[in-house]
Amino acid sequence: MAATKSKTRDGGQRGARGQMLSRVDKWHSYRLHHQATLKNSTLKILREPLQSLLTILVIAIALTLPAALYLSVENIRQLSGGVDASAQISVFVKKGARESALKSLTAKLEGLSGVASVTYISAQDARDEFEALSGFGSALQYLDENPLPDSFLVQPLLIGDATRLVTEIRELKLVDDVQLDLEWLQRLDGLLDMGRKLVLALGAALGLGVILVVGNTIRLAIQSRRDEITVVKMVGGTDAYVRRPFLYSGLLFGMFGALIAAIFLTGLGFWLAGPVNKLALLYQSQFSISGLGFSGFLVLLLIGGGVGLIGAWLAVGQHLRNIQPR
Amino acid sequence: MIRFDNLCKRYESGYEALRGVSFEMDAGEMAFLTGHSGAGKSTLLKLLMLIERPTSGNLLINGKNINRLPHSKVPFYRRQVGVVFQNHQLLFDRSVFENVALPLQVAGYSQGDIGRRVRAALDTVGLLDREKHNPITLSGGEQQRVGIARAVVHKPKILLADEPTGNLDPQLSAEIMALFKRFQDVGVTVLVASHDINLINRMDMRIMRLNQGQMEQDGVSYGGY
Repeated sequence: MAATKSKTRDGGQRGARGQMLSRVDKWHSYRLHHQATLKNSTLKILREPLQSLLTILVIAIALTLPAALYLSVENIRQLSGGVDASAQISVFVKKGARESALKSLTAKLEGLSGVASVTYISAQDARDEFEALSGFGSALQYLDENPLPDSFLVQPLLIGDATRLVTEIRELKLVDDVQLDLEWLQRLDGLLDMGRKLVLALGAALGLGVILVVGNTIRLAIQSRRDEITVVKMVGGTDAYVRRPFLYSGLLFGMFGALIAAIFLTGLGFWLAGPVNKLALLYQSQFSISGLGFSGFLVLLLIGGGVGLIGAWLAVGQHLRNIQPR
Repeated sequence: MIRFDNLCKRYESGYEALRGVSFEMDAGEMAFLTGHSGAGKSTLLKLLMLIERPTSGNLLINGKNINRLPHSKVPFYRRQVGVVFQNHQLLFDRSVFENVALPLQVAGYSQGDIGRRVRAALDTVGLLDREKHNPITLSGGEQQRVGIARAVVHKPKILLADEPTGNLDPQLSAEIMALFKRFQDVGVTVLVASHDINLINRMDMRIMRLNQGQMEQDGVSYGGY
């Protein structure tokens, strides 16, 4: 009997110590299990290439659409940012204003809230510039006096402040006329705002789609591994242990989808680069498309992985509870 | 080790599977649980595996009442219990070795420990040379022994078996029972549900007979039927 004892007890010397698992051992094997699960989940995705590819493609398309819209909005905003700088308010001064009065007007303009800078352009300067740039310089020689008034260029801090500033400036003494030509800019700004909201709405809708797609894929995976789950639970596998491979699958699906989406977006960028550059050349602009960039790619990866994980989590929460040993 | 204290189990359908069952098993004791099908054998084992919870009464394991053991603690309780099923519940997508290794992987043993313990368990049931086989290629008796190896690989204090010889011929059945006896010899508390009266009688052990959810007989000799 003693012989049987040591044999079944696998190395009798280890005895009770063999039963105990130290914290270090547990942490070590916990990490190992994570690594093994990650490897296995990747292998499982690769083992069913068609099924996996379909899931990943759906995720990729769902991520590409809002991402492409987002990039368009960002690019247009960059373009309009260049225009922002020229959104100046021209303030024309009444003729014959004295120099001291001009000085006090400068101070008043600078004192308005929301003003970035004030530039004074004397009537003479304006005439010189007109002569140099317009090509009608010789026509001015026939006039007795300079028809151009003294003026100020007021640069608002924000486009949104421009309209308010115009009314305020109009109230000032000595001001003859105020011109502001940025209604179209404000409209663009409004459109961009709408675009950004559209990105959010589209992103939310398609994100929900990704969650459902991943959830369904994981649900099928859970069904096909029912026996395994039952046995694992029977031999003392915790819920976390059972959940882990499915969560990794969801995470991987999402991240692979994001990777493909990034490739789609890069392709789209190349495809559009030619026409956009041509157009920019026509407008004598230095503008060129800016793509996702590395940080953008990381964000996309994070969103894809996160959404995949959420989908897997929901599916696992829904279906694992129902699988109990009988 | 195991103590049933006036335990009742009523299913939601209203069916009363166990009606006031009380018994006690010491550590290292072996006993058979018998009775007609529907007498409550499976329910009793399910209560011990915490697959089902009792409707009333107390279930004490090692002096601890496990009636109200929270769901999150159940896996850790199950790691102290080994279970052998009639249909053995092996996974055919992996080798014999991997099947037996499952309880150890779940509990977080190191690779080295797993290898050593799995081989020791397979050696005990006499299937060391089959570790790389897929269990589907093994005979019914061999599959059941793999199931037993899996049930004891983590050295549980309690070993439960539900009709472990249900599909086996008499000689194989006797071998399986002898195997259970060997685990009892090393201090494991063994409870085997079986309706194989002839076999049980020959084992000369404690026999508990359930009838319609009640303990009808509890003793060494079996005189029924």
